[in-house]
Amino acid sequence: MNVPIEYFVLLSMALFSIGLFGILTRRNALMFLMSVEIMVNAANINLIAFALYHGNLTGQVFALFVMALAAAEVAIGLGIILVLYRNFRDVDVTVPTTMRW
Amino acid sequence: MAVFELPDWAALAPALILVATALALFVIDSINPHTKNRSLLAGTTAVGSLAALGVAVWFMVAGVGTPTAAGGRGVVELFGGQLVVDQMALFFMTVVSVVTALVAVASYDYMGDHAYQAEYYSLMMLAATGMATMAAANSLVTIFIALELASLPSYALVSILKDNRGSVEGGLKYFLIGALSSAIFVYGISLVYGATGHLQLEAIADNLQGAGEYGGLLGLGILMLIGGFAFKTASVPFHFWAPDAYEGAPAPVAAFLSSASKAAGFVIAFRVFTTAFPLEPTTAVIGVDWTLAFIILAIVTMTLGNFAAATQDNVKRMLAYSSIGHAGYALIGLAGLSADGGEIVMGAAMMHLLVYGFMNTGAFLFVALAEYWGVGRTFEDYNGLSNQAPVACFALGIFMFSLAGIPPLGGFWSKYFLFTGAIQAATANSAMLIVAAALVVNSAISLYYYARLVKAVWIEDPVSGRDTLAQPTGLYAAIIFAAVLTVVALPVFGPIADAALEAATVAIS
Repeated sequence: MNVPIEYFVLLSMALFSIGLFGILTRRNALMFLMSVEIMVNAANINLIAFALYHGNLTGQVFALFVMALAAAEVAIGLGIILVLYRNFRDVDVTVPTTMRW
Repeated sequence: MAVFELPDWAALAPALILVATALALFVIDSINPHTKNRSLLAGTTAVGSLAALGVAVWFMVAGVGTPTAAGGRGVVELFGGQLVVDQMALFFMTVVSVVTALVAVASYDYMGDHAYQAEYYSLMMLAATGMATMAAANSLVTIFIALELASLPSYALVSILKDNRGSVEGGLKYFLIGALSSAIFVYGISLVYGATGHLQLEAIADNLQGAGEYGGLLGLGILMLIGGFAFKTASVPFHFWAPDAYEGAPAPVAAFLSSASKAAGFVIAFRVFTTAFPLEPTTAVIGVDWTLAFIILAIVTMTLGNFAAATQDNVKRMLAYSSIGHAGYALIGLAGLSADGGEIVMGAAMMHLLVYGFMNTGAFLFVALAEYWGVGRTFEDYNGLSNQAPVACFALGIFMFSLAGIPPLGGFWSKYFLFTGAIQAATANSAMLIVAAALVVNSAISLYYYARLVKAVWIEDPVSGRDTLAQPTGLYAAIIFAAVLTVVALPVFGPIADAALEAATVAIS
């Protein structure tokens, strides 16, 4: 392996920041979900790169678990977005504001 | 002593019973998909969680999880140290199962006309399984999986009233912030893995020294882990889902989330920070003492929670903010740790979470009762309820005064231990004096809004005439049981305190 580990961390941090930017700026719940996925995948890149760097498989195995959990999370999220659409006729996350402090 | 020895995996019995109950509910549902047999479903749930409770208490008394040197049967490590059953794990399994049992009994009436009965109860048992597993998780892998197992059913539970806008909105907000915080959490795990090369907590602690050149990565990773814990425990900076999710959710679900889920969030925080990041070596690597983060979070969380609660008109929302305030009290357990001790603060935080499990569940169940009656949601709507329902209102008085920390109720004693622990920790870290002062000031503020609710139900006259109110068996039974537990916590507080202190000592050493 010739690519230094720092580049992987920079890549994953860039992806993480892109995801975070998306969450902070998007109003569509589906885009929000995609941004979260980007952040989780940034963590996966880290895990796999560090697994290679440290020479153990822990990180790779955990990355598989993380992918499965992210899929489960999206399934629940889509369900909630579906009932959101049924109730509010929109998937804009700024529309449901019946509760404010 | 024992005629036969149970295998090691049997130490996980409380969590296994909870998951078996969830599967039993699925079987009932698949045999009769549209069953509305509430007695069967709620009964199965309650029996399962009471069985888990019984086994957890039995194990604690029998000495499972106490080190052999101290006369116990030893801490049980399973699957290469991925799960560990010690006193702290059993203690929090007890908290989770007792809250689950109370909520299941209360849901019998509250969710009476809901179309998806079996789904509701099995989601609740799955979430309880996740919380019990969180108590035993001893590796960042198992912690993350257990955390998601507890979170995912919770999102669905909050938004289970599909045609209720508040429920869906609460569920959406809970889900969005939960997804964001779990992404931050898993990124933090990846950074900790990068710095140390391990995910098992003891292995992380052993490899902290080698992480010297990656101190920055490790520090950032720890900060992101704190973000994940803050979400689960509803403390600053990821607290803002709590008021909306609790207000929108069915009240028994709000009781479940604010008591059991919060306790489970604290147990993983306790375990990660005592096992994986011992204070001295971690400070040497990252250059900052992590208790500083918890001192700030504890003060900000309890102050914000209490001040926001004092301004609410909606009872459920007031309880939600008070639940944030109590998360701040429990955070003292981590803020007060020092290199040479901290058992008292951590033990006190565990006691507080146990007592809080009774009194807060009871308070939310009273709100469930009020919603069942349909009297309304604000303090004024609660005026004069004691005329129609004196027993429930008496129980409410117990919950409120215990939450406020009035002697001699259980809530006073756990706060008292937190206070003495914080004062004692102040010898090592003088910032703890500010925390102790914040605890006292906030408790005094909290008396205002708790007493306001008691005044509304007992002293004020109802705004409008009210018909006689029904007495739903399940809700009443759960509320009275919670009140009895809150009161009984007083004479048995000695053993509870001993158990919590012992568990904290085992966890810290």
